[in-house]
Amino acid sequence: MTARQQPFSAAVTGLGLVTAAGVGAKAAWHTITHDCAPGGVSRPDELMDLPCDFMYTVGDLDPAEVLGVATQRLMDRFSQFAVIAAREAVADAGLEPETWDSARVAVVIGSAHGGVSFYDEQHTTMLQRGARRVSPKLAPLSVINSAASSVCTDLGVHGPSFGVATACSSGAVAVGTAHQLLRAGVCDIAIAGGAESTIARLLVASACQMKAVSTRRDKPSAACRPFDVERDGFVVGEGAGLLVLERPEHARARGATVRAQVSGYGASSDAYAAVAPDPDGTGIERALRTALADAEVAPGDVGYVNAHGTSTVVNDLIEAMMLERVLGDHLLVSSTKAMTGHTLGAAGGIETALTVLALEHQLVPPTANLEVPDHRIPLDLVRQEARPARFDCAVKTSLGFGGHNAALVLTRG
Amino acid sequence: MNAAEVVNDLLVQRFGVAKADIRFETPLRKLKMDSLALEELRVLIEVQLDIDLDEVALTSRDTVGALVSAVDGKVAA
Repeated sequence: MTARQQPFSAAVTGLGLVTAAGVGAKAAWHTITHDCAPGGVSRPDELMDLPCDFMYTVGDLDPAEVLGVATQRLMDRFSQFAVIAAREAVADAGLEPETWDSARVAVVIGSAHGGVSFYDEQHTTMLQRGARRVSPKLAPLSVINSAASSVCTDLGVHGPSFGVATACSSGAVAVGTAHQLLRAGVCDIAIAGGAESTIARLLVASACQMKAVSTRRDKPSAACRPFDVERDGFVVGEGAGLLVLERPEHARARGATVRAQVSGYGASSDAYAAVAPDPDGTGIERALRTALADAEVAPGDVGYVNAHGTSTVVNDLIEAMMLERVLGDHLLVSSTKAMTGHTLGAAGGIETALTVLALEHQLVPPTANLEVPDHRIPLDLVRQEARPARFDCAVKTSLGFGGHNAALVLTRG
Repeated sequence: MNAAEVVNDLLVQRFGVAKADIRFETPLRKLKMDSLALEELRVLIEVQLDIDLDEVALTSRDTVGALVSAVDGKVAA
Protein backbone atom coordinates (compact mmCIF):
# COMPACT_ATOMS: atom_id res chain seq x y z
CA MET A 1 0.00 0.00 0.00
CA THR A 2 1.31 3.45 -0.81
CA ALA A 3 0.46 6.43 1.35
CA ARG A 4 0.50 9.33 -1.08
CA GLN A 5 1.18 12.81 0.18
CA GLN A 6 0.49 16.17 -1.38
CA PRO A 7 3.48 17.27 -3.48
CA PHE A 8 5.78 19.58 -1.58
CA SER A 9 8.50 21.80 -2.99
CA ALA A 10 11.09 23.10 -0.56
CA ALA A 11 12.66 26.39 -1.66
CA VAL A 12 16.43 26.38 -2.05
CA THR A 13 17.51 29.85 -0.98
CA GLY A 14 21.20 29.44 -0.18
CA LEU A 15 24.25 27.38 -1.15
CA GLY A 16 27.62 26.79 0.47
CA LEU A 17 30.47 24.80 -1.06
CA VAL A 18 33.94 23.78 0.05
CA THR A 19 35.51 21.61 -2.65
CA ALA A 20 38.79 20.71 -4.29
CA ALA A 21 37.46 22.63 -7.30
CA GLY A 22 37.07 25.80 -5.29
CA VAL A 23 35.90 27.26 -1.99
CA GLY A 24 32.60 29.07 -2.27
CA ALA A 25 29.74 28.18 -4.61
CA LYS A 26 30.70 30.83 -7.16
CA ALA A 27 34.34 29.74 -7.41
CA ALA A 28 33.51 26.03 -7.49
CA TRP A 29 30.84 26.47 -10.18
CA HIS A 30 33.20 28.55 -12.33
CA THR A 31 35.97 25.95 -12.10
CA ILE A 32 33.66 23.01 -12.74
CA THR A 33 32.07 24.61 -15.80
CA HIS A 34 35.18 26.28 -17.28
CA ASP A 35 38.19 24.10 -16.51
CA CYS A 36 38.52 20.99 -18.58
CA ALA A 37 41.05 19.33 -16.30
CA PRO A 38 40.95 18.79 -12.54
CA GLY A 39 43.41 20.88 -10.55
CA GLY A 40 42.58 19.65 -7.06
CA VAL A 41 44.49 16.36 -6.89
CA SER A 42 47.39 16.12 -4.45
CA ARG A 43 49.58 13.53 -2.75
CA PRO A 44 49.14 13.90 1.03
CA ASP A 45 51.94 12.56 3.25
CA GLU A 46 49.39 10.36 5.02
CA LEU A 47 48.94 8.29 1.85
CA MET A 48 52.64 7.88 1.05
CA ASP A 49 53.52 4.64 -0.77
CA LEU A 50 49.96 3.31 -0.87
CA PRO A 51 48.78 1.84 -4.22
CA CYS A 52 46.53 4.90 -4.37
CA ASP A 53 48.60 7.72 -2.87
CA PHE A 54 46.54 10.64 -4.20
CA MET A 55 43.21 12.32 -3.55
CA TYR A 56 41.30 15.53 -4.20
CA THR A 57 42.04 18.02 -1.42
CA VAL A 58 40.79 21.50 -0.59
CA GLY A 59 43.82 23.69 -1.15
CA ASP A 60 42.86 27.33 -0.85
CA LEU A 61 41.55 27.27 2.68
CA ASP A 62 43.05 27.58 6.15
CA PRO A 63 40.24 26.62 8.55
CA ALA A 64 42.18 27.93 11.57
CA GLU A 65 42.46 31.31 9.88
CA VAL A 66 38.77 31.42 8.91
CA LEU A 67 37.32 30.01 12.13
CA GLY A 68 39.90 31.03 14.72
CA VAL A 69 41.78 28.61 16.94
CA ALA A 70 39.20 28.53 19.75
CA THR A 71 36.41 27.43 17.38
CA GLN A 72 38.49 25.23 15.10
CA ARG A 73 40.00 23.12 17.91
CA LEU A 74 36.65 21.53 18.71
CA MET A 75 36.17 20.12 15.21
CA ASP A 76 37.86 17.66 12.92
CA ARG A 77 38.36 18.85 9.36
CA PHE A 78 34.99 17.62 8.01
CA SER A 79 33.13 19.64 10.65
CA GLN A 80 35.26 22.70 9.90
CA PHE A 81 34.25 22.40 6.24
CA ALA A 82 30.60 22.08 7.29
CA VAL A 83 30.73 25.24 9.40
CA ILE A 84 32.42 27.22 6.62
CA ALA A 85 29.88 25.98 4.05
CA ALA A 86 26.97 26.67 6.43
CA ARG A 87 28.10 30.25 7.03
CA GLU A 88 28.22 30.78 3.27
CA ALA A 89 24.84 29.16 2.63
CA VAL A 90 23.09 31.15 5.37
CA ALA A 91 24.61 34.44 4.19
CA ASP A 92 23.72 33.55 0.61
CA ALA A 93 20.12 33.01 1.69
CA GLY A 94 20.07 36.45 3.28
CA LEU A 95 19.26 34.95 6.68
CA GLU A 96 20.47 36.53 9.90
CA PRO A 97 21.17 34.13 12.77
CA GLU A 98 20.83 37.07 15.18
CA THR A 99 17.16 37.52 14.34
CA TRP A 100 15.78 34.23 12.98
CA ASP A 101 13.48 32.03 15.06
CA SER A 102 16.30 29.66 15.95
CA ALA A 103 14.03 26.91 17.31
CA ARG A 104 12.44 26.62 13.85
CA VAL A 105 15.78 25.95 12.13
CA ALA A 106 17.00 22.38 11.59
CA VAL A 107 20.44 21.06 10.63
CA VAL A 108 20.86 17.71 8.84
CA ILE A 109 24.35 16.84 7.64
CA GLY A 110 25.50 13.57 6.12
CA SER A 111 28.94 12.05 6.46
CA ALA A 112 30.18 8.54 5.86
CA HIS A 113 33.23 8.51 8.10
CA GLY A 114 33.02 11.55 10.36
CA GLY A 115 36.30 12.38 12.08
CA VAL A 116 38.19 9.34 10.84
CA SER A 117 41.30 11.45 10.22
CA PHE A 118 41.52 12.43 13.89
CA TYR A 119 40.64 8.87 14.89
CA ASP A 120 43.46 7.48 12.77
CA GLU A 121 45.93 10.07 14.09
CA GLN A 122 45.03 9.35 17.71
CA HIS A 123 45.23 5.61 17.22
CA THR A 124 48.77 6.09 15.94
CA THR A 125 49.51 8.22 19.02
CA MET A 126 48.28 5.47 21.32
CA LEU A 127 50.36 2.80 19.61
CA GLN A 128 53.51 4.89 19.52
CA ARG A 129 53.31 6.83 22.78
CA GLY A 130 50.79 5.04 24.96
CA ALA A 131 47.26 5.54 26.22
CA ARG A 132 48.23 8.49 28.45
CA ARG A 133 49.11 10.60 25.42
CA VAL A 134 45.75 10.19 23.70
CA SER A 135 43.61 13.31 23.28
CA PRO A 136 40.41 13.49 25.36
CA LYS A 137 38.60 14.87 22.29
CA LEU A 138 38.32 11.63 20.30
CA ALA A 139 34.58 11.03 20.81
CA PRO A 140 33.33 14.60 20.32
CA LEU A 141 35.48 15.16 17.22
CA SER A 142 34.99 11.81 15.52
CA VAL A 143 31.25 11.17 15.87
CA ILE A 144 29.42 11.61 12.58
CA ASN A 145 26.93 14.06 14.09
CA SER A 146 29.69 16.50 15.05
CA ALA A 147 29.36 18.39 11.75
CA ALA A 148 25.70 19.07 12.57
CA SER A 149 26.36 20.00 16.19
CA SER A 150 29.27 22.27 15.19
CA VAL A 151 27.03 24.15 12.75
CA CYS A 152 24.33 24.52 15.43
CA THR A 153 26.84 25.91 17.92
CA ASP A 154 28.39 28.25 15.37
CA LEU A 155 25.11 29.69 14.07
CA GLY A 156 23.01 29.40 17.23
CA VAL A 157 20.53 26.89 15.80
CA HIS A 158 18.12 25.48 18.41
CA GLY A 159 15.83 23.27 16.30
CA PRO A 160 16.31 19.56 15.61
CA SER A 161 19.72 18.50 14.30
CA PHE A 162 21.43 15.24 13.51
CA GLY A 163 23.94 13.46 11.32
CA VAL A 164 22.97 11.10 8.54
CA ALA A 165 25.11 8.06 7.81
CA THR A 166 24.31 6.09 4.67
CA ALA A 167 27.87 5.93 3.30
CA CYS A 168 28.22 7.66 -0.07
CA SER A 169 24.55 8.64 -0.28
CA SER A 170 24.62 10.43 3.10
CA GLY A 171 24.53 13.94 1.63
CA ALA A 172 21.57 13.18 -0.65
CA VAL A 173 19.69 11.41 2.16
CA ALA A 174 20.32 14.45 4.37
CA VAL A 175 18.77 16.78 1.77
CA GLY A 176 15.85 14.38 1.32
CA THR A 177 15.35 14.11 5.06
CA ALA A 178 15.35 17.90 5.35
CA HIS A 179 12.68 17.99 2.63
CA GLN A 180 10.57 15.65 4.76
CA LEU A 181 11.11 17.69 7.95
CA LEU A 182 9.99 20.85 6.15
CA ARG A 183 7.00 19.07 4.64
CA ALA A 184 6.00 17.79 8.09
CA GLY A 185 6.19 21.33 9.47
CA VAL A 186 8.87 20.41 11.99
CA CYS A 187 10.90 23.47 10.96
CA ASP A 188 10.72 26.48 8.64
CA ILE A 189 14.38 26.43 7.61
CA ALA A 190 16.74 23.48 7.18
CA ILE A 191 20.48 23.57 6.56
CA ALA A 192 21.23 20.28 4.85
CA GLY A 193 23.87 18.45 2.84
CA GLY A 194 27.10 16.61 3.50
CA ALA A 195 30.65 16.99 4.79
CA GLU A 196 33.64 14.69 4.59
CA SER A 197 37.41 14.69 5.00
CA THR A 198 39.18 11.37 5.12
CA ILE A 199 42.87 12.14 4.82
CA ALA A 200 43.38 8.95 6.79
CA ARG A 201 45.99 6.36 5.92
CA LEU A 202 44.04 3.53 7.52
CA LEU A 203 40.89 4.13 5.50
CA VAL A 204 42.62 4.63 2.15
CA ALA A 205 44.87 1.60 2.75
CA SER A 206 41.73 -0.49 3.18
CA ALA A 207 40.07 1.03 0.10
CA CYS A 208 43.18 -0.01 -1.85
CA GLN A 209 42.87 -3.56 -0.54
CA MET A 210 39.23 -3.54 -1.64
CA LYS A 211 40.41 -2.60 -5.18
CA ALA A 212 37.77 0.12 -5.21
CA VAL A 213 40.06 3.09 -5.84
CA SER A 214 41.98 4.03 -8.95
CA THR A 215 45.66 3.12 -9.01
CA ARG A 216 46.58 5.43 -11.87
CA ARG A 217 49.58 6.78 -9.96
CA ASP A 218 51.39 7.94 -13.09
CA LYS A 219 48.62 10.45 -13.84
CA PRO A 220 46.44 11.10 -10.78
CA SER A 221 44.55 14.04 -12.29
CA ALA A 222 43.29 11.72 -15.05
CA ALA A 223 42.40 8.88 -12.67
CA CYS A 224 38.79 9.80 -11.95
CA ARG A 225 37.09 9.41 -15.35
CA PRO A 226 33.38 8.63 -14.93
CA PHE A 227 31.74 6.62 -17.74
CA ASP A 228 35.06 6.38 -19.64
CA VAL A 229 36.20 3.03 -21.09
CA GLU A 230 39.51 3.38 -19.23
CA ARG A 231 38.01 4.03 -15.77
CA ASP A 232 39.54 1.90 -13.02
CA GLY A 233 38.05 3.08 -9.73
CA PHE A 234 37.10 6.14 -7.76
CA VAL A 235 39.39 8.78 -6.28
CA VAL A 236 38.64 10.03 -2.77
CA GLY A 237 37.90 13.70 -2.29
CA GLU A 238 37.16 15.97 0.67
CA GLY A 239 34.72 18.83 0.99
CA ALA A 240 31.29 19.99 2.07
CA GLY A 241 28.14 21.06 0.28
CA LEU A 242 25.19 22.54 2.12
CA LEU A 243 21.86 24.01 1.05
CA VAL A 244 19.47 26.27 2.88
CA LEU A 245 15.98 24.88 2.32
CA GLU A 246 12.82 26.62 3.44
CA ARG A 247 9.12 26.03 3.55
CA PRO A 248 7.91 27.90 0.44
CA GLU A 249 5.65 30.30 2.34
CA HIS A 250 8.50 31.14 4.69
CA ALA A 251 10.79 32.02 1.78
CA ARG A 252 7.98 33.97 0.11
CA ALA A 253 7.11 35.95 3.23
CA ARG A 254 10.61 37.29 3.58
CA GLY A 255 11.02 37.94 -0.13
CA ALA A 256 13.92 35.50 -0.54
CA THR A 257 15.25 34.58 -3.96
CA VAL A 258 14.30 30.97 -4.68
CA ARG A 259 17.19 29.49 -6.63
CA ALA A 260 15.53 26.13 -7.24
CA GLN A 261 13.19 23.74 -5.46
CA VAL A 262 13.61 20.28 -4.02
CA SER A 263 10.35 18.76 -5.22
CA GLY A 264 10.74 15.05 -4.68
CA TYR A 265 12.75 12.50 -2.76
CA GLY A 266 13.03 8.75 -2.88
CA ALA A 267 15.18 6.37 -0.87
CA SER A 268 15.58 2.61 -1.00
CA SER A 269 17.77 -0.24 0.15
CA ASP A 270 19.30 -2.93 -2.06
CA ALA A 271 19.30 -5.64 0.62
CA TYR A 272 21.99 -7.18 -1.55
CA ALA A 273 25.64 -6.73 -0.53
CA ALA A 274 27.99 -4.83 1.78
CA VAL A 275 29.76 -3.05 -1.05
CA ALA A 276 28.53 -4.02 -4.53
CA PRO A 277 25.35 -2.41 -5.82
CA ASP A 278 22.48 -4.59 -6.97
CA PRO A 279 23.75 -5.67 -10.42
CA ASP A 280 20.39 -4.91 -12.03
CA GLY A 281 20.20 -1.46 -10.47
CA THR A 282 16.76 -2.23 -9.07
CA GLY A 283 17.51 -0.46 -5.79
CA ILE A 284 18.48 2.89 -7.28
CA GLU A 285 15.66 2.48 -9.83
CA ARG A 286 13.15 2.16 -6.98
CA ALA A 287 14.53 5.30 -5.32
CA LEU A 288 14.33 7.27 -8.57
CA ARG A 289 10.79 6.14 -9.41
CA THR A 290 9.70 7.04 -5.87
CA ALA A 291 11.27 10.50 -6.18
CA LEU A 292 9.59 11.14 -9.55
CA ALA A 293 6.22 10.07 -8.16
CA ASP A 294 6.77 12.20 -5.05
CA ALA A 295 7.37 15.24 -7.25
CA GLU A 296 4.60 14.26 -9.71
CA VAL A 297 7.12 14.55 -12.50
CA ALA A 298 7.12 12.38 -15.64
CA PRO A 299 10.38 10.85 -16.93
CA GLY A 300 10.13 13.02 -20.05
CA ASP A 301 10.20 16.18 -17.92
CA VAL A 302 13.71 15.52 -16.63
CA GLY A 303 16.31 17.42 -18.63
CA TYR A 304 19.48 16.75 -16.65
CA VAL A 305 20.83 14.14 -14.27
CA ASN A 306 23.83 14.82 -12.07
CA ALA A 307 24.80 11.18 -11.75
CA HIS A 308 26.55 9.42 -8.90
CA GLY A 309 29.12 8.47 -11.60
CA THR A 310 31.99 7.43 -9.36
CA SER A 311 34.34 6.14 -12.06
CA THR A 312 34.18 2.56 -10.83
CA VAL A 313 33.61 0.00 -13.56
CA VAL A 314 30.48 -1.41 -11.94
CA ASN A 315 28.70 1.70 -10.62
CA ASP A 316 28.85 3.71 -13.80
CA LEU A 317 27.45 0.95 -15.98
CA ILE A 318 24.66 -0.08 -13.61
CA GLU A 319 23.66 3.51 -12.96
CA ALA A 320 23.71 4.51 -16.62
CA MET A 321 21.61 1.52 -17.71
CA MET A 322 19.12 2.32 -14.95
CA LEU A 323 18.89 5.99 -15.99
CA GLU A 324 18.17 5.04 -19.59
CA ARG A 325 15.60 2.46 -18.48
CA VAL A 326 13.69 4.86 -16.21
CA LEU A 327 14.12 8.22 -17.90
CA GLY A 328 14.88 7.43 -21.55
CA ASP A 329 17.72 8.76 -23.67
CA HIS A 330 16.48 12.32 -24.34
CA LEU A 331 18.19 13.88 -21.35
CA LEU A 332 21.68 15.12 -20.55
CA VAL A 333 23.81 13.31 -17.99
CA SER A 334 27.11 14.20 -16.36
CA SER A 335 29.20 13.39 -13.31
CA THR A 336 31.08 16.21 -11.61
CA LYS A 337 33.25 13.85 -9.54
CA ALA A 338 36.28 14.20 -11.83
CA MET A 339 36.49 17.82 -10.62
CA THR A 340 35.71 17.29 -6.92
CA GLY A 341 36.76 13.69 -6.32
CA HIS A 342 34.41 11.24 -4.70
CA THR A 343 33.69 13.10 -1.50
CA LEU A 344 31.81 10.10 -0.06
CA GLY A 345 29.25 11.36 2.45
CA ALA A 346 29.60 14.93 1.18
CA ALA A 347 29.00 13.99 -2.46
CA GLY A 348 25.20 14.20 -2.37
CA GLY A 349 25.33 17.64 -0.74
CA ILE A 350 27.95 19.06 -3.12
CA GLU A 351 26.28 17.60 -6.19
CA THR A 352 22.76 18.70 -5.21
CA ALA A 353 24.15 22.23 -4.87
CA LEU A 354 25.74 21.89 -8.34
CA THR A 355 22.39 20.67 -9.71
CA VAL A 356 20.73 23.79 -8.29
CA LEU A 357 23.36 25.90 -10.07
CA ALA A 358 22.81 23.94 -13.31
CA LEU A 359 19.06 24.69 -13.16
CA GLU A 360 19.70 28.30 -12.32
CA HIS A 361 22.27 28.88 -15.07
CA GLN A 362 20.60 26.48 -17.55
CA LEU A 363 24.02 25.01 -18.05
CA VAL A 364 25.09 21.37 -17.69
CA PRO A 365 28.57 20.92 -16.18
CA PRO A 366 30.78 18.55 -18.17
CA THR A 367 32.21 15.20 -17.09
CA ALA A 368 35.92 16.01 -16.93
CA ASN A 369 38.35 13.32 -18.09
CA LEU A 370 35.63 11.53 -20.09
CA GLU A 371 37.44 10.94 -23.36
CA VAL A 372 35.99 7.73 -24.77
CA PRO A 373 32.56 6.92 -23.36
CA ASP A 374 31.91 3.27 -22.51
CA HIS A 375 30.13 2.09 -25.67
CA ARG A 376 27.62 0.11 -23.60
CA ILE A 377 26.20 3.32 -22.14
CA PRO A 378 23.18 4.59 -24.13
CA LEU A 379 23.13 8.15 -22.76
CA ASP A 380 23.96 11.67 -23.92
CA LEU A 381 26.95 12.22 -21.63
CA VAL A 382 28.07 15.83 -21.44
CA ARG A 383 31.86 16.02 -21.69
CA GLN A 384 34.70 18.29 -22.81
CA GLU A 385 32.78 21.50 -22.11
CA ALA A 386 29.68 22.73 -20.31
CA ARG A 387 26.56 22.58 -22.45
CA PRO A 388 23.80 25.22 -22.35
CA ALA A 389 20.34 23.62 -22.33
CA ARG A 390 16.71 24.39 -21.52
CA PHE A 391 15.37 22.30 -18.67
CA ASP A 392 12.95 22.84 -15.82
CA CYS A 393 13.63 19.64 -13.95
CA ALA A 394 16.80 17.82 -12.89
CA VAL A 395 17.65 14.71 -10.91
CA LYS A 396 20.43 13.89 -8.47
CA THR A 397 21.18 10.22 -7.80
CA SER A 398 23.38 8.78 -5.03
CA LEU A 399 24.32 5.23 -4.06
CA GLY A 400 26.08 4.18 -0.88
CA PHE A 401 28.00 1.13 0.33
CA GLY A 402 25.51 -1.11 2.07
CA GLY A 403 22.94 -0.53 -0.67
CA HIS A 404 21.60 2.84 0.47
CA ASN A 405 20.11 4.57 -2.56
CA ALA A 406 18.69 8.07 -2.84
CA ALA A 407 17.25 10.24 -5.59
CA LEU A 408 16.21 13.88 -5.51
CA VAL A 409 14.05 15.70 -8.04
CA LEU A 410 14.81 19.41 -8.36
CA THR A 411 12.82 21.99 -10.28
CA ARG A 412 13.47 25.58 -11.33
CA GLY A 413 12.77 28.28 -8.78
CA MET B 1 61.19 27.35 28.70
CA ASN B 2 59.65 27.58 32.16
CA ALA B 3 56.22 26.36 33.24
CA ALA B 4 54.56 29.77 32.93
CA GLU B 5 55.83 30.22 29.39
CA VAL B 6 54.68 26.74 28.35
CA VAL B 7 51.19 27.24 29.81
CA ASN B 8 50.86 30.72 28.30
CA ASP B 9 52.01 29.62 24.85
CA LEU B 10 49.68 26.61 24.80
CA LEU B 11 46.72 28.74 25.90
CA VAL B 12 47.39 31.19 23.07
CA GLN B 13 48.41 28.81 20.31
CA ARG B 14 46.21 25.79 20.95
CA PHE B 15 43.15 27.31 22.61
CA GLY B 16 42.98 30.72 20.99
CA VAL B 17 43.13 32.65 24.28
CA ALA B 18 44.15 36.30 23.90
CA LYS B 19 47.57 36.84 25.45
CA ALA B 20 46.42 40.04 27.20
CA ASP B 21 43.70 38.08 29.05
CA ILE B 22 46.19 35.71 30.71
CA ARG B 23 47.06 36.76 34.28
CA PHE B 24 48.15 34.65 37.22
CA GLU B 25 45.00 35.49 39.16
CA THR B 26 42.58 34.77 36.29
CA PRO B 27 40.36 31.70 36.80
CA LEU B 28 40.70 29.28 33.89
CA ARG B 29 36.95 29.36 33.25
CA LYS B 30 37.22 33.06 32.40
CA LEU B 31 39.48 32.01 29.54
CA LYS B 32 36.70 29.63 28.37
CA MET B 33 38.76 26.64 29.48
CA ASP B 34 36.10 24.06 30.34
CA SER B 35 36.75 20.57 31.71
CA LEU B 36 37.39 19.08 28.27
CA ALA B 37 39.82 21.87 27.40
CA LEU B 38 41.67 21.36 30.70
CA GLU B 39 42.09 17.64 30.06
CA GLU B 40 43.43 18.45 26.61
CA LEU B 41 45.78 21.05 28.09
CA ARG B 42 46.98 18.50 30.65
CA VAL B 43 48.10 16.13 27.87
CA LEU B 44 49.77 18.93 25.90
CA ILE B 45 51.76 20.10 28.93
CA GLU B 46 52.79 16.51 29.74
CA VAL B 47 54.06 15.98 26.19
CA GLN B 48 55.90 19.28 26.02
CA LEU B 49 57.63 19.02 29.40
CA ASP B 50 57.78 15.23 29.58
CA ILE B 51 56.12 15.16 33.01
CA ASP B 52 53.17 13.34 34.56
CA LEU B 53 50.27 15.46 35.78
CA ASP B 54 47.94 12.52 36.36
CA GLU B 55 47.62 13.22 40.06
CA VAL B 56 47.09 16.96 39.68
CA ALA B 57 43.46 17.93 40.24
CA LEU B 58 42.40 20.53 37.67
CA THR B 59 39.14 22.46 37.60
CA SER B 60 38.12 25.52 35.68
CA ARG B 61 37.78 27.37 39.00
CA ASP B 62 41.56 27.16 39.43
CA THR B 63 43.62 30.15 38.39
CA VAL B 64 46.35 30.26 35.77
CA GLY B 65 48.79 30.80 38.64
CA ALA B 66 47.63 27.66 40.46
CA LEU B 67 48.09 25.62 37.30
CA VAL B 68 51.57 27.02 36.72
CA SER B 69 52.53 26.23 40.34
CA ALA B 70 51.28 22.65 39.97
CA VAL B 71 53.30 22.21 36.78
CA ASP B 72 56.34 23.79 38.44
CA GLY B 73 56.03 21.33 41.31
CA LYS B 74 56.14 18.41 38.91
CA VAL B 75 59.02 19.88 36.90
CA ALA B 76 61.04 20.36 40.10
CA ALA B 77 60.21 16.84 41.25
